[in-house]
Amino acid sequence: MNQPYESTILKFIAKNFLVPLMVVFAIYVLIHGESSPGGGFQAGAIFASAIILVRLIGANTQTQGSKGLPMPLLIIAASTGLGIYVVTGILAQLFGANYLDYAAIPLQWFNEFAGENRTNRAMGMWIIELGVFLGVASVLVIIFDLLSKDPEND
Amino acid sequence: MKWLTFTFLAFILMLLLWATSDLPSRANPQSPANVHLSPEFTKLTETEIHVPNIVSAILADFRGYDTLGETFVIFTAGLAVLLVLSSHGRKKKDPPKK
Repeated sequence: MNQPYESTILKFIAKNFLVPLMVVFAIYVLIHGESSPGGGFQAGAIFASAIILVRLIGANTQTQGSKGLPMPLLIIAASTGLGIYVVTGILAQLFGANYLDYAAIPLQWFNEFAGENRTNRAMGMWIIELGVFLGVASVLVIIFDLLSKDPEND
Repeated sequence: MKWLTFTFLAFILMLLLWATSDLPSRANPQSPANVHLSPEFTKLTETEIHVPNIVSAILADFRGYDTLGETFVIFTAGLAVLLVLSSHGRKKKDPPKK
């Protein structure tokens, strides 16, 4: 497929308006997960939609391999997301509480650093939502990449 | 054998339907979930966690194990697709003729 869609207004709007909006909105949904409807799953889905939209715009199999996120990086990101969750749980155990009991993890230094007044539990919730976000977003992109790649020449 | 299985499944279905009739209706304010769990979650979210969103508090804190399991499910789905569809390390037996 060569250049017939290079200058359509749909592609222009998607690339210059929709994708940045989706990325910012995903991060907003992630960060405001505790105070408004949202959370890791939703933010991950929105972020993955932004990345998939980028790939659909540049739906050119020659450029996809070089410009998109490489597959090993995505697998590492998915594993890191799950690892953040599991390690947060184990960290609570190391500080003498039950698994995933965030109240025991000392996170007060971050409150002083950010000038906020949040409980340890809210901070722990935010950390695991970050893990869920990484996992969901990268798994969705992994599935899209695998389903859309050309099996003949890779 | 087929009829035995069918009879057994029909019996299980009748048993489950009969048991369903004993469940409290979802909107019943006197059901155990609404009498014990919901006020507890609402109170603890305010006193212990200090976040406005009770749904997120239940999802990420009270039901942390559940959300961990959900994340594992999604990760496993990605791994399964990766293992099935990835051609990495697969021997090319007969290349397609052109």
